[in-house]
Amino acid sequence: MRRTIGVAAAALLFCAGCSSMGVEPWERDILAKDEMQLTTDELEAATDDHIYFSKEASSGGRGFGGGGCGCN
Amino acid sequence: MSRKENCSISAALAAATCTLLGSGVPAPVDAQEEPLWDFNTSLLYYGEDGDRVKDFSVSAIARRMFVDDRFLTLSLTVDGLTGATPSGAIRQDVPQTFTRPSGNAAYTVPPEVLPLDDTFKDTRVALGAGWQQPVGETSLINVGASASREYDYTHVGVNAKMARDFNQRNTTLSAGFAYSFDSLDPVGGAPTPLTPMLDVGDTSNRLGDQDKDVLDLIIGITQVLSRNLVVQANYSYSKSDGYLTDPYKVLSLVDGTTGDTLLRTLTPGVAGPSHQFLFENRPGERTKHSIYGQVKYYMNGKVLDASYRYMTDDWDIDSHTVDLRYRIPFGADSYFEPHLRFYTQSEAEFYQLSIPDSQPLPGFASADYRLGNFDAITAGLKYGWRTRNDNEMSVRVEAYRQSGTVPSSQIIGNQAARDNYPDLNAVIVQVGYRF
Repeated sequence: MRRTIGVAAAALLFCAGCSSMGVEPWERDILAKDEMQLTTDELEAATDDHIYFSKEASSGGRGFGGGGCGCN
Repeated sequence: MSRKENCSISAALAAATCTLLGSGVPAPVDAQEEPLWDFNTSLLYYGEDGDRVKDFSVSAIARRMFVDDRFLTLSLTVDGLTGATPSGAIRQDVPQTFTRPSGNAAYTVPPEVLPLDDTFKDTRVALGAGWQQPVGETSLINVGASASREYDYTHVGVNAKMARDFNQRNTTLSAGFAYSFDSLDPVGGAPTPLTPMLDVGDTSNRLGDQDKDVLDLIIGITQVLSRNLVVQANYSYSKSDGYLTDPYKVLSLVDGTTGDTLLRTLTPGVAGPSHQFLFENRPGERTKHSIYGQVKYYMNGKVLDASYRYMTDDWDIDSHTVDLRYRIPFGADSYFEPHLRFYTQSEAEFYQLSIPDSQPLPGFASADYRLGNFDAITAGLKYGWRTRNDNEMSVRVEAYRQSGTVPSSQIIGNQAARDNYPDLNAVIVQVGYRF
């Protein structure tokens, strides 16, 4: 319980700090580049999720990833 | 993103030009200049060493853009799988004979060789569809459906995700869910858990089809920290219910002192297992929790993409995954991207190498190496370039290596002298083309 409250407090502090972070709309030149997207290649990410889902006991994290097959 | 910006810039320039020339703005200019569809396609080869699993796969994602930033996404993957996979039985100093999963034939594994089930052949077709559109000024909604079919497995799923921007789009909160309705129709029928592998033609311990449902929930926050730094953190929850056992995996029933697999009394004139093997059994529920963090950092044209995932579940498996990619530009239109991935997991509480006859039969047991204690490393390199007709092409080659250990408390007698954990080495080659 104490751990949950700690995590929640840390998350709230993080979010409260968010309002002063970031960039102005005209400073997004770099962030708008394809290579700066969180997932640069959807197909490659899906392939990796599928491979590791079928060979390891973990899945997901980034998204739902990997499931829907009889390989595990 | 950049294409969209180009589009709005060109539309704005067209409008400005038309205004200057005193003519009206041609309305369809947007539709004429913007390609409606874009495609992301790939060919994949995944090959494990020896006679183990090989997968040839063709995938495509097609995306159609509609006005007002709405997108339809369709995906297709076709996998062709062949090869053999460890059955769960341990090595022996003598040949071992097994009944095939179909129950129609038997095969023999030589002495000292890891028993592999070589009937692993399958074609898998997976389809997906998604619709994304803005909701109001700052939110985005995405709904989708997925389905896949292979010889012994059918999946149908739905998913939805919503994201909302705050702080001048520097903070994005997202939440989503996915639900899968899967059904299994194992070759020869799903075996009754923890019952023995029987003679060829004897299907008295086979059950009918089985079902499995999976609920996934995810919440996340993405934060722009500076002009060249963005971070993401996600929490995900996954609950599986139903038949989570692998119908093709077995465990060796062994002597509690020597650790050797017990011989079986053969039926005269009928082919069947030479030793005693029991079909595995896993709990009918599994709950997983994952924490995921990702950082993207731009440094003078180079991009570092680093992520970490911690997963824990109620099968007692904990895992840590670190993934690092570093994109280095090479000339104006190409790049290299080295990739390293480290993975480690602890074994499931019911993982065991074999079942000793000196102890009562456990409620749950599996010798599936994927539920064992192992580390894995992936090392790879990708090369990507822009083609003459302004499309994108990429090739990546990666090596994946898994090596595990069986807890010493589980090793009995002669097992100590054998290699009990099947190492896995695989090569991944993927060619991608986007147009």
